[in-house]
Amino acid sequence: MTAAARSRSARRARWVATGLTAPSWLLLLALFAIPIGIGIWLSFRNEALNSFAEPRFVGLDNYQRMVTEPTSGELIDAAVVTVIIMGLGLAVQLPIGVGLAVLLNRQLKFSRWYRSALLIPMLLTPVAVGLMWRFMLDTDTGVINWLLERVGLFGPDWLGSRWGARVAVVLVDSWQSIPFVMLLILAGLAGIPDGPDEAARVDGASSLQVFRRITLPQLKPVLYVVLMIRVIDTFKLFDTIFILTRGGPGTATQTLAMYNYSLGFVLLKTSQAAALGTVLAIITLPVYFLWQRASRAVEA
Amino acid sequence: MTRRRGTGLLSASLLAVLALFAGACGDSKDSEKSGSATPAASGTKQDADVTEINVFLIPSPSSTSIQSFIPEFTKKTGIKVNFTETPYAEAHNKQLLSYKQKAGAYDVAQFDNTYLASFGANKVMTPLDDYLKNSAEYDIADFSEGQQDYGKFDGTTFGLTLSTEPMIQWYRTDLLADAGLEPATTWDEYLSNAQALKAAGKAGNVLGFGPGVTWWWMTLVWSFGGQLYDKDLKPTVTSDAAVEATEYLKKLLEAGPDGASSLDGDTSVAKFFSTDVGEMLNYSGYYGSVKTPENPFAGKFATAAMPKGKADITHLAGWNIGIPSDSKKQDAAWQFLEFVLGKSNAKAYLESGAAAIGRKSITSDAELAKSDPYLPLLDIPASSRIERYPQLKVWPDFQKAADEAITPILTGDVEVKQGLEDLNTKLAGILAGENE
Repeated sequence: MTAAARSRSARRARWVATGLTAPSWLLLLALFAIPIGIGIWLSFRNEALNSFAEPRFVGLDNYQRMVTEPTSGELIDAAVVTVIIMGLGLAVQLPIGVGLAVLLNRQLKFSRWYRSALLIPMLLTPVAVGLMWRFMLDTDTGVINWLLERVGLFGPDWLGSRWGARVAVVLVDSWQSIPFVMLLILAGLAGIPDGPDEAARVDGASSLQVFRRITLPQLKPVLYVVLMIRVIDTFKLFDTIFILTRGGPGTATQTLAMYNYSLGFVLLKTSQAAALGTVLAIITLPVYFLWQRASRAVEA
Repeated sequence: MTRRRGTGLLSASLLAVLALFAGACGDSKDSEKSGSATPAASGTKQDADVTEINVFLIPSPSSTSIQSFIPEFTKKTGIKVNFTETPYAEAHNKQLLSYKQKAGAYDVAQFDNTYLASFGANKVMTPLDDYLKNSAEYDIADFSEGQQDYGKFDGTTFGLTLSTEPMIQWYRTDLLADAGLEPATTWDEYLSNAQALKAAGKAGNVLGFGPGVTWWWMTLVWSFGGQLYDKDLKPTVTSDAAVEATEYLKKLLEAGPDGASSLDGDTSVAKFFSTDVGEMLNYSGYYGSVKTPENPFAGKFATAAMPKGKADITHLAGWNIGIPSDSKKQDAAWQFLEFVLGKSNAKAYLESGAAAIGRKSITSDAELAKSDPYLPLLDIPASSRIERYPQLKVWPDFQKAADEAITPILTGDVEVKQGLEDLNTKLAGILAGENE
């Protein structure tokens, strides 16, 4: 084959590849790029679903309003609540997820059965999970306080008190997220060679020392990935909170995602909600880049 | 090289999608134009031969009843009725979108009274006063004055009353009898009944202490002699009456079921109908649930007038139904409303399970009162001041702020006076936006 023929063949292959991937690109653009673009465009206008005034371009007004409106304190409250729920969630989910992964990695009896059973919460829809837990956490008639009473403990007002509601949200989110953490850590553990562990044991290291000094450092990149994914997930946590507490009592569990929902769909301030959504997306960008970096480290 | 190719591909795809999108926008503009040239938009109400109308409904006993009348209406008039039911959470957003686009999608639409101000101020609903003036079948005089005002914004009727639901007192006859208590006539009695039941190991009372608590809180503020704001739209929720009402509500929570501060309106009703709770304050529209024979406590529920406070008020809530201004079939739409909600079918409407409309001919019907003993409570005496959701465009903001402030006060996280002062400050900013 001549060089010219090779070049023609390569060009044709490129066109075929372009043609084959074009529908995916179009779909991605239609479903992501255009809505995001429209969202940003809306954030510079004064559109409100319940206003019949002619909408117009208002520049950065919606962004300024976030800090100057009489209700702007709520935005700060929502940011604080998001950080609290994120912090508590990570403090629960990471240690338990890692612990379960380490246990299951030891190939104990019934390990495969446990692994399957532990994955079930991850497979359920958050709305169903929220409804189920809402019944279980009912202070008056719920099974959790009933069980606590049976063992002589006084069950808290889970959904009606500020901290009770926050703990309840973390509990339910953790119940559903720990299997995911466990699964990723388990995959990370499978990639760690046995050699260093065995050598350390021969040298007399205890199981805890082996875990702290050898296993954990090797798991670090995976842990970063898990951490970043969980940070992003918690940042956009909505369904569980909506079903469990609707952001209450008061604003005790109103996260930034919940606040943005109220702005857009309860108060119908479309453009203000779009502006806040844009800001939230910008805030999460660094987390996304950190996640990308951690992912590359895992691949390496 | 690879990157350049990728960028080129991306740009090509983007252009293609933008072209498609621009085409779609062009179409929508065209249809908007033809919509604005329609007879409805130019003030004419009706095209000549209407063969079908579209009715927008929100799931509720009222909606179910309306649907049951459709076959008979079609048989009588030859007009086919298409209906769509949209859950409450999305219903008004969907309507607003349709009205903003002047799509003319609906000829009849059910809506919550909280939207009357917004719909009325923006004239997205057709004024019904001319229809009412000429309709012997609807007979507006069959309603008390307060009820007639229920669909009015700024003196014009934009919606008919689809259900009349005053806040009333509900109680369990067996629990009160066991404790030797009588249904309350004053707020003091209502609280002491609740406290006595709580002391006896039962939940004394229930209402939506969580999301939506504003509905009950404002009822108490009014009943204790207060107001939410004055005529200059300055908030007045730090008044003595508002403080007293809030402290009272806090005591009711203490006498309620454990964890009641998380209950919204519907879950509080579920709690009352399915567990041992002595008293409940809620809208009369829930009476259909009392008649359900499967209820374990069926036959043990009764209703009474809301206890009296310093001011004799009736908090009235319920659905409205109207004709969107962009409908091209307004006369046929009125014909449908007149048929379903007119005097001739009033009894059948109630018997099909709907929450009653407060027609005097219905509320004073002794026969009907046997199956629906709450009906006389809808016959609101002229001495009672009717209060309803404040007719404010900023009401959603107002309610959100109040909801978020009141529950923490009730749970003791915030002290009553401090909480109300903070709320007052917040409401001042919100109410300032009413005339923007």
